[in-house]
Amino acid sequence: MSAAEADDRAESIRMIRDSAAAVAPPGGDLKRVRDLRWQDPGYDAGLFRQMGEMGWIGLRLPEEMGGAGLGVGEMCALAEELGRGLVPEPLIPAALSAQVLAAAGGKGPLPVLLAGEVLVLTAWQERADTLEVPGTSEASRHFLPMAAGADFFLLPVREGGRLALYELPAARCVPTIERTQDGGTLGTLAPNMAEATKLADDVGEALPAALDEAALVTAAYLLGGMERAFGMTLDYLRQRQQFGKIIGTFQALQHRAADLKMQVALTRASIESAAAALDAGATGDARRAAVSRAKARAAEASLRVTRECIQLHGGIGYTDEYDVGLYLRKAMVMANQYGSATLHRRRFMTVSPEVEA
Amino acid sequence: MDAIRIPPPAELDSLDDEQFRQVVRAFLHANYPEHLRNPPKRLHWVENKEWYFRLAETGWLCPGWPKEHGGLGLSPAKQIILTEEYERHGVARTNDHGVVMLGPLVINYGTEEQKRRFLPKILTGEHIWCQGYSEPGAGSDLAALRTEAVLDGDHYVVNGQKTWTTLAMDANWIFLLVRTDRNAKKQEGISFLLVDMKTPGITVRPIINLEMHDEFCETFFDNVRVPKENLVGQLNKGWDMAKALLGFERIFLGSPRQSGYALSRLKILAERMGVWEDAEFQDRYARLRLEFEDLKALYGTFVDRLKRGQSLGPDVSMLKIIQTELFQKITDCMLEIAGENAGLMEPMEGNRDLNIGGLYIQARPATIYGGSNEIQRNILSKNVLELPG
Ligand SMILES: Cc1cc2nc3c(=O)[nH]c(=O)nc-3n(C[C@H](O)[C@H](O)[C@H](O)COP(=O)(O)OP(=O)(O)OC[C@H]3O[C@@H](n4cnc5c(N)ncnc54)[C@H](O)[C@@H]3O)c2cc1C
Repeated sequence: MSAAEADDRAESIRMIRDSAAAVAPPGGDLKRVRDLRWQDPGYDAGLFRQMGEMGWIGLRLPEEMGGAGLGVGEMCALAEELGRGLVPEPLIPAALSAQVLAAAGGKGPLPVLLAGEVLVLTAWQERADTLEVPGTSEASRHFLPMAAGADFFLLPVREGGRLALYELPAARCVPTIERTQDGGTLGTLAPNMAEATKLADDVGEALPAALDEAALVTAAYLLGGMERAFGMTLDYLRQRQQFGKIIGTFQALQHRAADLKMQVALTRASIESAAAALDAGATGDARRAAVSRAKARAAEASLRVTRECIQLHGGIGYTDEYDVGLYLRKAMVMANQYGSATLHRRRFMTVSPEVEA
Repeated sequence: MDAIRIPPPAELDSLDDEQFRQVVRAFLHANYPEHLRNPPKRLHWVENKEWYFRLAETGWLCPGWPKEHGGLGLSPAKQIILTEEYERHGVARTNDHGVVMLGPLVINYGTEEQKRRFLPKILTGEHIWCQGYSEPGAGSDLAALRTEAVLDGDHYVVNGQKTWTTLAMDANWIFLLVRTDRNAKKQEGISFLLVDMKTPGITVRPIINLEMHDEFCETFFDNVRVPKENLVGQLNKGWDMAKALLGFERIFLGSPRQSGYALSRLKILAERMGVWEDAEFQDRYARLRLEFEDLKALYGTFVDRLKRGQSLGPDVSMLKIIQTELFQKITDCMLEIAGENAGLMEPMEGNRDLNIGGLYIQARPATIYGGSNEIQRNILSKNVLELPG
């Protein structure tokens, strides 16, 4: 990349961060997020539409498909800002579906999905903690995020050596819903193939790539969240007094904070380098290694940082009224989405066995 | 089980340890309400009073109190056996601040009149107590408390705010640490006061905790008039009394049972997730399991000291740190292996007590209350290791 290109890139990422402020104002309160918790469907459909209008759902699609043609770096920056504000609207699964529909030739509900008028979820997952897509036609599909608001499901189905894609209207096949710790839902779908329409013969190449991207974007969302929780904790350490002193002067706590800072820094470096690698065209094992490294780090660090933030707050950290707990709950839900730390560490070692000195 | 005869309460302390353990098991088997085993949350009075009253009727309510006050008069060692068996059986905590804290305090420091007035009502469940120590500005630094009691004729007038008052909404009495001398050194101006929660001027506001449960409260005092005779012990000596009570508490916070329970859940989850046989997981589990076994051994050495009639020193802080952090590590591991199930609100389908997220959240406050683990480490480094500073 030339210096001019690099500048353009940085500018584009800065712009996307600024536009995120429309939805998640930096330092804004979390009242909207709180009010949506455990409500049906757990997010604001109006705001989801606004995200569509801003071009976020199709951020990664080429312009000829109705997208914004932006890179993984921009998508990660956007997710990070949304993570900071705990924005519950299901952008990550929607963007995944947009990529799958684009791979299917732009058929089916792609235009209305890009406009944010409907929520389309890809029902790929047949068991917990996996990135594999067996495509068993009648198998239940699990862990569909915000499924209570879904209008369409996309079903990958193995047909011979290919992974065909079907569309299933949610009205004809209603998922069962379970509530999650962050106030959202996860759905389970027992697919009724009689109601399904075929959209494409083979999405076998596109789907794993899109899942990898979703894993990386999830890592970025977690990064934004942990960084905000850590920032709140630093503010608290600077202000809370006990024993006649600001608690941030206690060396035991200073060292804890320094350790957390390093976790946040490693997570950011890992994600940004992975995004750069993908934008530079990494595919296959190179892509998998970059994504797995970042997601393994983000999953582990987000859980550790958020739980230590509770501890550093003392009693007030254990209340629902105080915001830091919301970040803990979000990490609990998202850390394992699109693969846990263990899964990604393992995958990293299979695709990148040697150390490059 | 049924073959074991349960002796009358007065005879329990004369059993040998093993007989006593068997009797406790038989007692729980015969008396403990099945539906209250291993509750996912701390129970409110409406839910646990059935058990409280059962304990009251059978005379088992107050294991540590002397017999002449209606207790079982059990030695510390037997109390530990009792606690172990309760935990093993999954017995829920009751609203036990009267039994565990206020009762012993009144027995040690109260007047005869206070003993007559308060102890029987704990035994009947008429008085349900809560603990008003912490304040917004006084947590780890409890001695900085500012809720003030000023003498006005025959009454103390109390003004201020307590917080994190566990189950204050269920209680009809509260025991307070209050400031009675503003000019003294901070530990020396604190007194111990008993307050009827029906007194005008008291407001209780429940706080929802991270378990999404209304378990603790803020408690406000606005010109609350408390009869002078409700002061326990000497004026301005409340701090020493409250501290004396804490030593014995810490060994309970160090009981390995909580971690034992969590380990058994972790195994069930690992089997369900198909990772139990996994070599990497086995190593991780073994680490946790060995820490549990070693904690049990360490805990045993403290119990032995109690059995020999010795008192426990500040090194008991080790138990609290190791146990609460082990409990957290086990629940962290559960979360990590559970995949997307980690984020669910409700227990996993098919295992009512496999509540991964719930247990993860429940494990958090144990390192905060009862003296945070940072404070316990300060105690270890200063009072046990005698490091300078
Ligand atoms: C579930 C729960 C139930 C409770 N129930 C009751 C109750 O019934 N009655 C009651 O009176 N109280 C109760 N408490 C309050 C409890 O005792 C306090 O939360 C505790 O003492 C910590 O005080 P704090 O919350 O003000 O935290 P702070 O003291 O403000 O501590 C904030 C952080 O600073 C750290 N810190 C503080 N001082 C030092 C130091 N010198 N060196 C290093 N680190 C330090 C702490 O460890 C913590 O990480 C309860 C608390 C919880 C969480």
